[in-house]
Amino acid sequence: MSLNVGIPRFLGTNCDEDVKRWIESKGFRATYLWYEDRFESKDFDWIVIPGGFSHGDYLRCGALAARTPVMKSVQEFASKGKPILGICNGFQILCEAQLLPGVLLQNKNLRFIDQWQTLTVQNADNPFSKMMTTQQHIRLPIAHGDGQYYADSETLQKINNNGQIWLTYDENPNGSALNIAGVTNEKKNVCALMPHPERAQFEWMGSSDGELFL
Amino acid sequence: MSSDLSQNLKIYRLSMEEYEKMKTLLGHEPNVIEWCLFSALWSEHCSYKSSKNHLRKFSFRNSNTPDMDGENAGVVDLGYGEKIAFKMESHNHPSFIEPVQGAATGVGGILRDIFTMGARPIMSANYLCFGDIEAPRMKHLMKGVVKGISSYGNCVGVPTVTGQTNFHPLYNKNILVNALSVGYFGPEQRMALSNASGSGNLVVYVGAKTGRDGVHGASMASASFDDDSESKKPNVQIGDPFYEKLLIEACLEVLEKNLVVAMQDMGAAGLTSSSFEMSSKGQVGFILDLKKVPLRDSSMTPEDILLSESQERMLLICKPEKLSELQETFKKWSLDSAVLGEVQSDRKVKLMWGEEVLTNIDPDLIVEEAPRYDRPYQPWNSLQKTQALQAPEKINFQSLIEKAFKTSKLNRFQWIYNQYDQRVGARTATACESAVAHARLDHSGRGLALAVGCRTDLMVMDAQIGAFDAVYYPAFQMALKGSVALSITDCLNFGNPQKPEIMSQFVASVEAIASASVQLNAPVISGNVSFYNETLDENIPPTPAIGMVGMRDSVEDILPDYFQAPMEYIVRVKMDWLQSYTWLNSLEQKVSQFTENTHADIAGFIKQCQALDQKRQAELIPITSIKAIGLGGLAVTCLKMVQGNVGFDLSFDTSLIPESELFRDELYSFIVTTTDLDLTISFLKKHFKNFPVDIRKVGETVTEKIHISKKIILDFKTTKSQFEKGL
Repeated sequence: MSLNVGIPRFLGTNCDEDVKRWIESKGFRATYLWYEDRFESKDFDWIVIPGGFSHGDYLRCGALAARTPVMKSVQEFASKGKPILGICNGFQILCEAQLLPGVLLQNKNLRFIDQWQTLTVQNADNPFSKMMTTQQHIRLPIAHGDGQYYADSETLQKINNNGQIWLTYDENPNGSALNIAGVTNEKKNVCALMPHPERAQFEWMGSSDGELFL
Repeated sequence: MSSDLSQNLKIYRLSMEEYEKMKTLLGHEPNVIEWCLFSALWSEHCSYKSSKNHLRKFSFRNSNTPDMDGENAGVVDLGYGEKIAFKMESHNHPSFIEPVQGAATGVGGILRDIFTMGARPIMSANYLCFGDIEAPRMKHLMKGVVKGISSYGNCVGVPTVTGQTNFHPLYNKNILVNALSVGYFGPEQRMALSNASGSGNLVVYVGAKTGRDGVHGASMASASFDDDSESKKPNVQIGDPFYEKLLIEACLEVLEKNLVVAMQDMGAAGLTSSSFEMSSKGQVGFILDLKKVPLRDSSMTPEDILLSESQERMLLICKPEKLSELQETFKKWSLDSAVLGEVQSDRKVKLMWGEEVLTNIDPDLIVEEAPRYDRPYQPWNSLQKTQALQAPEKINFQSLIEKAFKTSKLNRFQWIYNQYDQRVGARTATACESAVAHARLDHSGRGLALAVGCRTDLMVMDAQIGAFDAVYYPAFQMALKGSVALSITDCLNFGNPQKPEIMSQFVASVEAIASASVQLNAPVISGNVSFYNETLDENIPPTPAIGMVGMRDSVEDILPDYFQAPMEYIVRVKMDWLQSYTWLNSLEQKVSQFTENTHADIAGFIKQCQALDQKRQAELIPITSIKAIGLGGLAVTCLKMVQGNVGFDLSFDTSLIPESELFRDELYSFIVTTTDLDLTISFLKKHFKNFPVDIRKVGETVTEKIHISKKIILDFKTTKSQFEKGL
């Protein structure tokens, strides 16, 4: 039976269709989950939170989305140890929901940045890096205004020791601490990254390294 | 003339003759509401009164372009059940006054023109003209415009995939900000129209609340600037891309559910233009109560409400039985909706303020009877044409290149396009780093190409030549990537049309564009005219910006614009159309002369270039990159192709290419790089055997070196960093 993937959709989410097509291209089922509705953990195998400007990025990126009914269900889903992937704004939402350590601040140059980045896989022991190996280099595009990963030094030390640093930038575009591009929670079931794997499915897109995630 | 009348003519920007016409049409002295309506809808911006007679020259259509006259954007049938809607529009005046909001709302406005037709916007582009980078406010304007475009476009989730940035001191006091958007219709996706119908159907307002922003915006955009442009700030609209994103989703959803009869965005002149145009097109009347308009500020007068250009608002017509489902859908997307009134068979627009009748007039009196002017102009006469072109004398190329860097004439503009989300939608194959953008079409998998054109320096040299080039050059760039031009939108930015020399530029440009579009079989299907780009008697250069869509069979294997590896051969294919030293002269702010081969078959050559791409794939010719030779000739084009650690050396054979020729503009020549010189040259010679082209090796790619000639040697790292320097 194919995997059933739930895709939360907030007001202002704008990578929902891209992520849905990506997931369906793998033969998985994809279902949108409206932000005002709850869902049952048992109905889904994975949750993928797509990028965008949820709730207009008002207050702080991801802050309003993190407090919606659908995220209560995502919390339950996470507590059951089931896999969750956050991309870009999905990363920001998972941090705001405190499912992941740290926060994402405005880029150091105070501008939106869209460009290709080479990343290094630091830890490949989570459900979304089964096809990756540690220290592998992959190429993905970033597109964000608030991607500067920040956590206090104690937290950084801790996530480093626990192997929670998933991906790092080879050249730091936004001022992220420890060049962090993606992290996981301690149990490694909640994973998120700022770059967009769904925009790197085929060579014609510029890279097919996004295929390593699913 | 009474002082009241002269005061009104000034406030409402109407001429004495227009006032007389208005009075005759109405049959009475206009009241204040009527002054407002006529002022807005008879403004140049809304009525095209100076241009309409000439825009008829764009009547050419082919089997791919259904006649959509009067709709918000042009439509191209791509086959396989796929269609696109696209259009380009100016937001010059607001952007000069307040660059961030001006540019942002320019993007918002053009997006609404697209999704109001039921198409999902999938690509955006922009065409920008700035003045001398050291001119007052210019850096602030540039940064602001880029920020406005990026903040709005990124948030709504439409990738900005291509653009062009020009510089000329004649834009110092009047920058140009033109935005283009392309929307996609998949098979069986419904197209929405803007003609109201069905007596008793409801007129529904949706989207953001109405505020005071942009009141009189349309008539502001139809006048020249004086010293006091700062005081016009309150006329500039404020945009919220988050609202726009919600509006896109909600509008597409109500269309999909078949809940609307007609739909129109509230653009220039807001509620006035949308209601009058919808009723006029549908040959019906409306009764509307302005008290029902959702307001941000309850003290707004009916005049304010009619003329507000608050953003992110739409007017819909729906059947009464569909209203509750329609309102539910908008509520789901957290948007306001309000019934303002209904459609009536009596062909009058009756505007109410509660119980009070403000006006009751036939919409055609305003829309169809708008004035038209046949402004005086002269037939075009190219003064810059010569028999034999003289190379500029005693040129220090090294210092010219430094100057070109300093004035942004040589810049990769990464600092601009890196602020745009170029890949949201996951359709992007090539974007801003390439001369032509390509997006993969969802249903057929083919590549939709998008490019913009119009090179200011050529327009300054000769408006007719420049306008031909504005069409041919993007088509040529597409052809080199294997895409065929399908259709054109334009944004005709000109100075004051009441001046015959400006009107002459306009007519020459329109005729050149129309002729080139026929040659390429790519009809001009939508567009916009922006006149009065004039400040204190100084007019901008004629600037007919072109947006072009094209088609490629697939998005695989599109050749890049950059050198790929060292030790490859650089081959030039030189076409003999037009030669000048525009790039060199423009650095010195001199107008160029040119020589033209009037027998050159440009459209035929473009077609042959397009066929080259499939053929080199089929015959496995190891071409690694391809690029049109732009202004500044071979040398400047090679500079633009530098990438990573790969530079170039053109110094091999100076006997064949004299130094002055290295910087000569050659329209339309191109460069390819290859790993197999003999095979590529014989392939190219065979392919172009019916064209008088010169094909030869002109240099090689090398690691970390830039040798333009034996004498002009640039430091690799410094040059690259200059190139990539941003604001």
